[in-house]
Amino acid sequence: MIKVDNVSMKFNLGIEKNFSLKLFFINLFKPKSKKPKKEDFWALKDVSFDVKKGEVIGFIGSNGAGKSTLLKVIAGVMKPTKGKVTVNGNICPMIELGAGFDMDLTARENIYLNGAVLGYTKEFIEQKFDEIVEFSELKDFLDVPVRNFSSGMTARLAFSIATVVDPEILIVDEILSVGDISFQKKSEAKMRSMIGGGTTVLFVSHSLNQIEKICDRVVWLNHGQVVKIGPAKEICKEYRESVGL
Amino acid sequence: MFIKNVMINLKKYSFLLQQLVSRDFKVKYKRSVLGIVWSLLYPILTMIVMAIVFSNVFKFSTPDVNYLAYLLSGLVMFNYFSEASNLSMSSVVANFGLLNKIYIPKYIFPLSKCLFVGINFLLTLIPLYIVLLATGTGVNWYHIFLPYAYLCLFMFTLGMGFILSAVSVFLRDMFYIYGIIVMMWTYLTPIMYDIKMISEELQPWLKLNPLYHYINFAREIILYGRIPQPFTWTICLLSSVAVLLIGVIVFKKTQDKFIYYV
Repeated sequence: MIKVDNVSMKFNLGIEKNFSLKLFFINLFKPKSKKPKKEDFWALKDVSFDVKKGEVIGFIGSNGAGKSTLLKVIAGVMKPTKGKVTVNGNICPMIELGAGFDMDLTARENIYLNGAVLGYTKEFIEQKFDEIVEFSELKDFLDVPVRNFSSGMTARLAFSIATVVDPEILIVDEILSVGDISFQKKSEAKMRSMIGGGTTVLFVSHSLNQIEKICDRVVWLNHGQVVKIGPAKEICKEYRESVGL
Repeated sequence: MFIKNVMINLKKYSFLLQQLVSRDFKVKYKRSVLGIVWSLLYPILTMIVMAIVFSNVFKFSTPDVNYLAYLLSGLVMFNYFSEASNLSMSSVVANFGLLNKIYIPKYIFPLSKCLFVGINFLLTLIPLYIVLLATGTGVNWYHIFLPYAYLCLFMFTLGMGFILSAVSVFLRDMFYIYGIIVMMWTYLTPIMYDIKMISEELQPWLKLNPLYHYINFAREIILYGRIPQPFTWTICLLSSVAVLLIGVIVFKKTQDKFIYYV
């Protein structure tokens, strides 16, 4: 269902230095030896693996190992510098909640706007509108601008919009639990039911317990390279040993 | 092939496009008392200010045609260009937060801005027609050809929007530079003066400006009641298609690199 083939991703860390016109001109006249060297940073290096339909794959590794970059490449946000990613099926990237909100619009208007941003069709949103409203528990605030919402209310609305779909491929960067305690329980249960519902899931988490519980297989990344791929229990155990837990 | 892909893509994202345009509309007027009336009032007020300055202070006048009608027919078109190109320019950078997280075709942002200002432009035609009737300039049958000029203006602006939004990702100074460019462009386009007031040697240079031809096309019809010369028809189409094409190519070639300049 997903095929990641020799994917490498290069970032140019020196890029910030050439940002303005002034610096651009100053650099033009600088002798070559004094120019800041562009540092290449490989966030991903020759990463390859396959994901079958219905599989739940976990990604582990320290901060900066390339997990989020890899998910972004798979989601199509970034194009890999080298290699190829083939994806069959529609992806629901549950990475960001409420990124498409407009604070000046009401909750009702934002459901349509954010839904469109997430790639939902008009019919789909109209059909699921009540479900979204009910899950978010914001029925009385539908015509209030989101700018007047508390952060918890905004997060609840965003979560409800993002999780109303049944995607073929679900990308989860940490299990999200938002809002107050009762909503946290509800949102976590919703996430778990989405993950357990037979969809293909790509799951990033720092909680090894969660990974072991949920995932079939695990990809262990370190400095942008795959260390090992294998059954969840085995890899988690090795990872624990390597970081000295 | 490319065109076909674009059409499929546009169909898929038409709902998003529609939402973005309607968002801009709602946000623009939501907190003002007069709301959409401003779209009608604003061009009239600008016209009055300019008319006072240029016809009374500088004694500009246009032979045979009403100065107010002359002014407004050019002004609405130039205002469309300057507002739409400005909004398009910042649209990609402003939406980096989204582009960094979800896959959305990036061209949708400049396009939605050009469409949004386009709808606003159609509203400003109402005050234009009121002025045409009030000043006795009148309306003739050739007005059915006006959409041609407006379509060329749209394509030209969209092309500029693509170029500017791509360039400004790599060079944020563009936001300031373009402000100055538009100011120069305002004075170099015969909006408040007639091109015949300029010396003969300079006229050909001013005619290198595509906006002059779109405005000229519209004025030939609106003010002089005649069908524009074949040359004008051709130059309008060629210049707008060329700029749109350049814009599409520049945007397409650079869009994969945007993400590194967040």
